[in-house]
Amino acid sequence: MATSLSNVFLKGIAARSLSRPLNGLFYCTRYSNTVSNDSDTHDDFKPGNKLEGSGICLSNVIEQDVKDNPVMVYMKGVPDFPQCGFSSLAVRVLKHYDVPISARNILEDPELKNAVKAFSNWPTFPQIFIKGEFIGGSDIILNMQQTGELKEKLKDITSKQ
Amino acid sequence: MSSRGASALLSRASRIRSKLQTALEATVLEVDDVSYQHAGHAAVKGSSDKETHFNVKIVSPKFEGQSLVKRHRLVYDLLAEELQSGLHALSIVAKTLHETNPNK
Repeated sequence: MATSLSNVFLKGIAARSLSRPLNGLFYCTRYSNTVSNDSDTHDDFKPGNKLEGSGICLSNVIEQDVKDNPVMVYMKGVPDFPQCGFSSLAVRVLKHYDVPISARNILEDPELKNAVKAFSNWPTFPQIFIKGEFIGGSDIILNMQQTGELKEKLKDITSKQ
Repeated sequence: MSSRGASALLSRASRIRSKLQTALEATVLEVDDVSYQHAGHAAVKGSSDKETHFNVKIVSPKFEGQSLVKRHRLVYDLLAEELQSGLHALSIVAKTLHETNPNK
């Protein structure tokens, strides 16, 4: 039951099917993003276009995400199909605990990727938020699992199930 | 600080080591290029730069009293230039000397 509900919730978030469209929710116009021709720079670190304009609205999306979802992950791919070893590791760690994992695939939206980096002041992915607090990447969450800190932080979430 | 021209002659591993050692006065500094492990990573195909993935282990007094997030952020800030010029991923172990001493 819990697992089934969690999966439904997860797919909803991962597929970005929010109850209302993003632009309706936050009253902003979506900007199209031009593709950088700098092939040497990995997508994570290409300069963001129109970041200032889109950042204002997207930072509200992110703020809402981390507030509404007790465990929120911005990752490459989705929890059931990670597209990067580090994102995969983070999800595997979190799946040890009985908590719903909400996620957004930053590979689908370069503007979202840049907005998340600016929001947390953190340059890489995955990025994990628990109960509204920025936790860090896969290194940190693995370390927290080993020290027992992660179980402590997640116990309230589990008990609410 | 080396000039831009000189920087271009050094490998990324050397630049990373130099920046971290200078800023953190590390008692232990290990910089391992593990790019070969990610050679098939779709995201880095086409990149002409081969030095994309590194593991770093740092023991430094600068980490005293700092949370893990602050330590990692400090390291990322020091390597911001590398992250913007082809460094794809960084695994970080950041400890104080006290934390590495098994006898406590």
